[in-house]
Amino acid sequence: MPRFLLRRLRGSLLVLLGVSAITFLLARVIPSNPALTYVGAKATPEEVERVTHALGLDQPLPVQYLSYLRNVLTGDWGTSIATKQPVLGELGDRLPATLELVGAAMAVALVLGVTLGCIAAVRPGRLIDQAVRLLSIAGVSVPAFWLGLLLQLLVFGRLGLLPPTGRIDSDLEFTAPIHSITGLNTVDALLTGNGAALASAAAHLILPALTLAAYPLGVVARMTRTSMLEALQQDHIRVGRAYGVPERTLVWRVALRNALPPTVTVLGLTAAYALTGAFFVEVVFDWPGLGQYAASGLLSLDYPAVMGVTLIGAIAYVLVNLAVDLVHARLDPRVRPA
Amino acid sequence: MTTPRRTPAAAALVACGLLLSACTGTDSGADNGTGQILNVATTAEVTTWNPVKSFSTEVYYLSNVYEPLLWMNPPGSKERFRPALAERWESSADARTWTFHLRKGVTFHDGEPMNAAAVKASLEASAKDGGAAFIWSALDTIETPDEHTVVLKLKSPAPADMIASSMYGAWIVSPKALAKGEDYFAKGVDAGTGPYRVSEYQAKKRVVLKAYDKYWGGWKGERYRTVVARITAEPTAQQQMLESGQVDYAGSLPLENVARFKKDKGYTVTECPTFTSHTAFFNTTKGPLKNVKVRQALAQAIPYDDIVKVGAEGFGARARGPVPAGAFPYDAQLPQTPYDLEAARRLLTEAGYEGGKGLKLTLSYAAENAQQAKYAPLIKDSFAKVGVTVELQPILFNQQWEKAKADPATAQDIFLLMYWPTYSDAGSDNLVSLFRSSDKPFFNLSYWKDATYDKFVDEAGTHTATDQDKAAELYGKAQRRLLEQAPGAFLYDMRTPVVMNSQVKGFACNPNYSFSIPFHQLRHGAS
Repeated sequence: MPRFLLRRLRGSLLVLLGVSAITFLLARVIPSNPALTYVGAKATPEEVERVTHALGLDQPLPVQYLSYLRNVLTGDWGTSIATKQPVLGELGDRLPATLELVGAAMAVALVLGVTLGCIAAVRPGRLIDQAVRLLSIAGVSVPAFWLGLLLQLLVFGRLGLLPPTGRIDSDLEFTAPIHSITGLNTVDALLTGNGAALASAAAHLILPALTLAAYPLGVVARMTRTSMLEALQQDHIRVGRAYGVPERTLVWRVALRNALPPTVTVLGLTAAYALTGAFFVEVVFDWPGLGQYAASGLLSLDYPAVMGVTLIGAIAYVLVNLAVDLVHARLDPRVRPA
Repeated sequence: MTTPRRTPAAAALVACGLLLSACTGTDSGADNGTGQILNVATTAEVTTWNPVKSFSTEVYYLSNVYEPLLWMNPPGSKERFRPALAERWESSADARTWTFHLRKGVTFHDGEPMNAAAVKASLEASAKDGGAAFIWSALDTIETPDEHTVVLKLKSPAPADMIASSMYGAWIVSPKALAKGEDYFAKGVDAGTGPYRVSEYQAKKRVVLKAYDKYWGGWKGERYRTVVARITAEPTAQQQMLESGQVDYAGSLPLENVARFKKDKGYTVTECPTFTSHTAFFNTTKGPLKNVKVRQALAQAIPYDDIVKVGAEGFGARARGPVPAGAFPYDAQLPQTPYDLEAARRLLTEAGYEGGKGLKLTLSYAAENAQQAKYAPLIKDSFAKVGVTVELQPILFNQQWEKAKADPATAQDIFLLMYWPTYSDAGSDNLVSLFRSSDKPFFNLSYWKDATYDKFVDEAGTHTATDQDKAAELYGKAQRRLLEQAPGAFLYDMRTPVVMNSQVKGFACNPNYSFSIPFHQLRHGAS
């Protein structure tokens, strides 16, 4: 096991190195001048030149890359050109918002997806199965930003329910501020018993989380249905049925336990995908997380910020994959090499 | 995928949302009933908190935290200026000596007294390495005969009253803070005299301004003692925040949706003129655009009215040149280039391009600029009517500008630019920056070099402070030369719809400061 882990880790590091090199190059081949972002669009040529030099942008590319790499390893992820704040600090500041969003979305996807998948598998070919199928396909194929806008229009615009944007009512930040422990608003509000803030934070979370959940929900429902159908065909289920074990127990206790592992694997993989989806969802819902940070970083050509987000995304992706592999190896000895 | 498939998914998700909402037991939005907090949505990000360096959107906040010596009143006011930190001021006849008498008993937010020494230090810092240092290029020395008097000695006559009321490079800052250097301001520290102080700053997320109790202007009535600005780039998100009551004022809404707010009694919509204008530059250094007839033809093939109507959703007014209406030296007598396709065809034929034959041009614009994205295709369509093919190139402004400055020979043929003067003298700014000859292109993106034009603007600049009529006359000649030679086409001056919750009272437009809202001016009143 340790050797397997080591080899996987080494591979992951190579992936990260590759990602950093590619993003670095991409950020620099674009004909733009980050120094302009630094000083503002109307600064004089002399000022732009001074900043170009101060930021080291007049150095050859390989030199810039190497010093970037060295800094990243020592915990200095550069300074955002647009905000002049350390990128690592800004990322840390925004990560909890994204984690809260992705976490909520994955929870919704898991609970709803598994339930719907089971219901569909129990009555294959019936109306309910068709409905779940439609829902899954729609969830997977509808673009997140479009779904987000649609939900805002319907739930907020037409029905006047649920706040369309933001993480919490801004007034509450003064009347009932959340004492930050984990950075996840809902969790912190719960831990500190801040009822008003919890209600507001939860209400703000619903629409973006649902939007983000659509894709993994579809995948999980389909996956659960397939593996449940298979599990329900197994001999021991038939035997159980013959012995008069209640159908409910057979489906939700016995078959589901067999059907769950592949579902969890799929969920892990979609979690990494959801992180990318979060980028669009955050922009639509004005959710102050990594996605919004990346979007504004891209628009202002703030390359340290963009590279920071890319690196965080890559790390998350690699970690999730690693976790999935490890879980898989634990569940299935065939995966684990001798 | 077809639409019917989407519907059940959406409906189911909505149902889920309703259920969950019932669990948490909340209803939508926030109720801003206190009247103490003003919530605003803005696109204004902070490039720097250093008031001396500032030359970008942070003026939105800085203008509430710092004060200049004078404020400039909106065009058409009885008095051109009103006192800010200077109570009275006068200039010598040759406009080379300007004396400002400072307000007494004013303190900076850090407790330091606002006096002649502070003003001297602030202006010297701005003139030396400020972001807009060039506005003080005429400044020679600053004398402080007493605690409350500042005398500016200029190398050449200049309108120091206008310059001192600039929103860039003219803020008066506590000398103690200035001495601490660049990094001191980085996290959102302020050292001004204005009604608000910066109480919280989360980069790209929000800025909280809180009342400065000892503000010399006082805090009477139902003013907003706290202003929470949420930085939101998306106009749609801003609109939703406004509609859900999360904010009382949104600075940049999707223009096509403003009409809806006009009909709603819950909101007040004020249409503010600005000094921001849109210009199309023709690349005068290469190909057919070297020919003045081709440029004149193209200028007459631009559908100006459609651009204002469709591109700007009506929030604009046709321009008469690069000087926006209301700013000095705007000339209402200047002719507007007509939209005349017949004339354009004739000119093209005379230039040897009958039917626009073979004319293929590239037009670049800032992809993030929603208005340009809307009207650029109108230009393309209209040019097609005279046989000129246009290839649209939307790229981020930063890249568009870098490319245009790099080499005129390989640059775009037409460049769309949104521009505003640093302070309200568009003669020394727009007319010089956009069209005066320069060795290296900066904002002169038609790369035009014309000695006659240069002579007019150079000479005009020397008269602005002493004889404005004379200056205006010369600038008028320069602008006529521009319209004749057509190195560019002048599209429109922008208007900004300001949409506020109708409980917010007291707002008045001032195009001299169209990027900022004086929050201290606003009151909370029952609707």
